[in-house]
Amino acid sequence: MTHANLLSPPSQIPPPTALALSQKAPLILSTSPTSSLPWPLSLLFSRETPESWTIHENLFLSALRTGDEASALTTLERLEARFGEHNERIVTLRGIYNEATAQGNADLEKVFDGYEKILREDATNMSIRKRRVAVLKALGRTSDAVTALTALLTNSPTDAEAWAEASELYASLAAWGQAIYCAEEVLLITPNAWSAHAHIATLHYLSSATNNTPNLVSLAMSLKHFCRAVELNDSYLRGYYGLKFVTSKLNALLSEASSTSLKRNTQDDDDVPVPSIETVKKLEELATSKLAGIVRQFKSGKKGWMGYDEAEIIAARELLDRDAKAVR
Amino acid sequence: MAVFGTALNGAGAVLLTHAVYSTHEHTATFASTPLPLDISLELLVSILLLSLGIVVSFAPLKPIQYAQWAGQLSREGRHGEGQYTREGEEMLSEGDPYAFLGLDGGIGGKGEGRRGFWDVKGKRREYEDWVRQGGKQ
Repeated sequence: MTHANLLSPPSQIPPPTALALSQKAPLILSTSPTSSLPWPLSLLFSRETPESWTIHENLFLSALRTGDEASALTTLERLEARFGEHNERIVTLRGIYNEATAQGNADLEKVFDGYEKILREDATNMSIRKRRVAVLKALGRTSDAVTALTALLTNSPTDAEAWAEASELYASLAAWGQAIYCAEEVLLITPNAWSAHAHIATLHYLSSATNNTPNLVSLAMSLKHFCRAVELNDSYLRGYYGLKFVTSKLNALLSEASSTSLKRNTQDDDDVPVPSIETVKKLEELATSKLAGIVRQFKSGKKGWMGYDEAEIIAARELLDRDAKAVR
Repeated sequence: MAVFGTALNGAGAVLLTHAVYSTHEHTATFASTPLPLDISLELLVSILLLSLGIVVSFAPLKPIQYAQWAGQLSREGRHGEGQYTREGEEMLSEGDPYAFLGLDGGIGGKGEGRRGFWDVKGKRREYEDWVRQGGKQ
């Protein structure tokens, strides 16, 4: 299990970790980071560090997640006392608290109206705009959420986080074209993000998987982006997993196409060269050996290889086993 | 390696001090004669030892190639480096700089990225379901 750390919370927080995180509340709330002395002395004897406020914020979020609203409120009051009620970030945290404590959709609508009011006063409050999208999503109004998000993106087109959210929202509606467009915008802002490359490759693969006839161009695009992901990160488990997965599909398709002597480059709008079968085979070999190496090192518990998620390792192992069976 | 580096540094420092003291003593007693060869040699050897010791005991260098650096982040994950905040939270090593995109969990993943769009209701429901099912690990 990933250990619970409030300063830099893990990238995945399953319920047990969330519980462990919020159980730290009494300890952290028992001492105040700010000094209670009058003004000039409080500057000298304050024990606060930038980390204490990150910890408070994370504690607030995990307390809300586990339903510990009393601790969440205490933490929020501390943050408000320190940074003022009108700080953008604090206003957002207050909004999250209201969302969490809302009973039913009617209450949530009220929180939403509150956000509208804040935005009428200050339309540039980006985090409140993001909260609006989150509330719409929570209410199940995905298409409204998409509209709100596109409005946000029109005003702030360099927000990679918002583009990523838009990509996922479109993907959840199975609108692959739009999802890919948004993911490409993410790449324009963060061209070296290996996870963004893996994401766009997944989208390309899914867009071809949902069609009845597998689309060679989509698979080639997917292959290209998975290759870039592992080029940017030479131990990227998800990248190698995807590379192996896509190459095995492409392999089957290409050998089928060559046996029926079908011309590969018949697509007229085709600006993506479909790779040759030799290249695909070589890539598959590379991905297999890399995946096997990662799985082996993780299983042997070698120091310096324990950063992977266990579920991902298990999935990679299954993929390798399936492949080995097919060969036999 | 740490012990070896410290030993080299220690020996180098002792020799350097001795060479400096010898020089001082020599110039104080025979002001007009040139410095004997053994003092110069001792000085050079001490500097060599110190330089070696500093290089050997240096913290491991970070990879300068992007792919290797990123690979190291993925392989090792975030691990503690023995420093704690006042609240008792361990300071962790550098993590994935693109975690804020929240794209690492796959489509519809449950990652904690994209904090701005954090779905508090969904996370609460997930936790409540887990508690209702008996709170298994």
